[in-house]
Amino acid sequence: MKDPIEVPNNNAFKVLQVQGISKSFGSNQVLRDVSLDLNKGEVLCLLGPSGCGKSTLLRCINWLETPDAGSIRLNSKRFGIHKGGAKMGDSDLARMRAKIGMVFQHFALWPHLSVIGNIVESPIHVQKHNKKEVHKEALALLAKVGLQDKADMYPASLSGGQKQRVGIARALAMKPDILLFDEPTSALDPMLVGEVLEVMRGLADEGATMVVVTHEMEFARQVASRIILMDSGEVVETGHPAQFFSAPQTVKAQQFLTRYHQRG
Amino acid sequence: MNLSDFVIVWQQYPAIWAGFVNTVTLLLLAGSASLVLGIVLTPMLMSKRPVIYRSIGFYCECMRCVPFLLLVYLIYFGLPSFGIQLSNWVTGFIALIIYNSAYMAIILRAAWQDIPQETVEAGKAFGLHGNRLLKRIIMPLILMRATPMIGNQMTQILKDSAFLGIIAVSELTAVMNAIQATHFIPFASFLSAVVLYWLICLVIEFFTLIFTRYAEVRRA
Amino acid sequence: MTTYDYWSIVQGSFATVGVSLTGVLLGVPLGLGLALLRWARIPVVRQVCYLYVSIVRSCPAVTLILLIYFGLPQFGLSLNPLAAALIALSMTAAAFSCEIWRASLIAFDQQQYDAALAFGMPAWLRVWRIVLPQAWQSSLPGLVNEMTMLIKSSPAIAVIGMVEITRAAQRVGARTYEPMPPLMFGLFLYMVIILILVRAQRRLERKAPGFGVRV
Repeated sequence: MKDPIEVPNNNAFKVLQVQGISKSFGSNQVLRDVSLDLNKGEVLCLLGPSGCGKSTLLRCINWLETPDAGSIRLNSKRFGIHKGGAKMGDSDLARMRAKIGMVFQHFALWPHLSVIGNIVESPIHVQKHNKKEVHKEALALLAKVGLQDKADMYPASLSGGQKQRVGIARALAMKPDILLFDEPTSALDPMLVGEVLEVMRGLADEGATMVVVTHEMEFARQVASRIILMDSGEVVETGHPAQFFSAPQTVKAQQFLTRYHQRG
Repeated sequence: MNLSDFVIVWQQYPAIWAGFVNTVTLLLLAGSASLVLGIVLTPMLMSKRPVIYRSIGFYCECMRCVPFLLLVYLIYFGLPSFGIQLSNWVTGFIALIIYNSAYMAIILRAAWQDIPQETVEAGKAFGLHGNRLLKRIIMPLILMRATPMIGNQMTQILKDSAFLGIIAVSELTAVMNAIQATHFIPFASFLSAVVLYWLICLVIEFFTLIFTRYAEVRRA
Repeated sequence: MTTYDYWSIVQGSFATVGVSLTGVLLGVPLGLGLALLRWARIPVVRQVCYLYVSIVRSCPAVTLILLIYFGLPQFGLSLNPLAAALIALSMTAAAFSCEIWRASLIAFDQQQYDAALAFGMPAWLRVWRIVLPQAWQSSLPGLVNEMTMLIKSSPAIAVIGMVEITRAAQRVGARTYEPMPPLMFGLFLYMVIILILVRAQRRLERKAPGFGVRV
């Protein structure tokens, strides 16, 4: 379990600032005035029942969904809207997104590129780094997630767990400021979940700044530095995992944990 | 009709070869040009701006409702009224391209709508956008998915080329027609033409198979 | 263009629709027969069907019509243009619809067929009562599409002297020295015919329950 991080209370360390995010799909209000902060090195786990809006919130962070209201700031730079109030164009959005690494529930690897091709695609073509160096680093990342001998294979021939590990390596290759995980193990066979969680645990131990949407409670309890519980588009409770899991303060949190324990 | 008719057909080898080459040339040039134009048109069909997708969509729908020969006549008789004088071959070539680019765009658009949304979203999430997203992620996936349909369309181009004989382009059928009229051997001539068309289609199928194998490893 | 000119082009459309429709009505059952023969896996017949379908599907309409109209008389079969056109279009319709039927038959839910077998239904009854009604439903959009294709290749019948829309329009233009107006009218007629067919096809595609419905 991670100790709560002692940080001075100023914005210099705040990698991510989410303020007052609201989002509706048609008549369905999915997010209501959600705010959160993230410091460098923190691992934030977003928990909650299905449909509570946690995935939508994650997708708002890198502007894959456009919030109806509120602001997202990455290292104090505002996402989606320029200083003067003008909407950001595609290329500016792309530049900001290149600072965020995202891991998708269904892996979302590019099937026509090899494993190593998937990893080097964005560093070479978006961040414009040197090809040789990127390749070297990519191989090192593959070794880190345990897939160095799969470099030239294609995603179609990998198992779900292997695909997701490639997805994580792909996100790491961007040398991002934060890593977003959208239910990274939900689409995996139970046998394969462990290998992915292992990699994520290792990243957290190295001090990566992560936002993880997940249903894996054990992982959240052991790895998170902060838990946020959401329900019906609102933040219901936030706190350190030790306190959240043993002594939840709100009724909704207690109900949520009871249901989880019953299922377990 | 006796088998010696086929010998006579065989003896016209030079003329037949010229017609055959003409047909294959039309197929290769018009096929590649239509595919390239189709690749250019498809993003326009998927554009968010109504002016663009409505106008291109209208053009594609028109081509779907028109028989190829009618389009050939429209261009053949229409261009001179604008003062443009082109040879019959070029007229037929342009007609093939205008007609089949629309079909290619429709095929590619259908393949685009088949691609899992997450794959494209990942591209956006990793900073790819605009033409780069199109060139590196979307188009390769579309082309691989649409390979069988593209092969099918190439067959269609081959068959449409036979209509061009009506405006006096010396393609294979027109050449065979001239031979049979001269030597009174219609069955042997046209049957030989049928076999030659069939052989070209087998080659198209062969290449389609190769591209499909290439695409299989790289499938979602 | 005079009223008579318009009328002569409309008359051409009777030939267009009539010949294409008859071709489909003759060709689709033939195609079904070919598909069933291949499905039944009878040794030599199967390969012959495959060869027939492969060759006719790769043959241009013009070439096939010329082969039949000019070639068959060499065997003592004297044909008028209409008969030759019908034979050519039916052969084409049979070849294309064979593939459509085959797709339906292959995608057919094997379990339903096995159930019929288990209930002791004889072969012909299995095909007639269980397979065909559903194969017909799922083939319908493809068959309407084929009708559209046949209409689009119907101008080929003009090379053996039948006057359909395109030839009628071209003749009016040759007489009046104004080729574009009759061609545009012909275009309009084709669009009406094909739009009706396309709309019917889209409606059928929406209603189609999908191959071999799993209930």
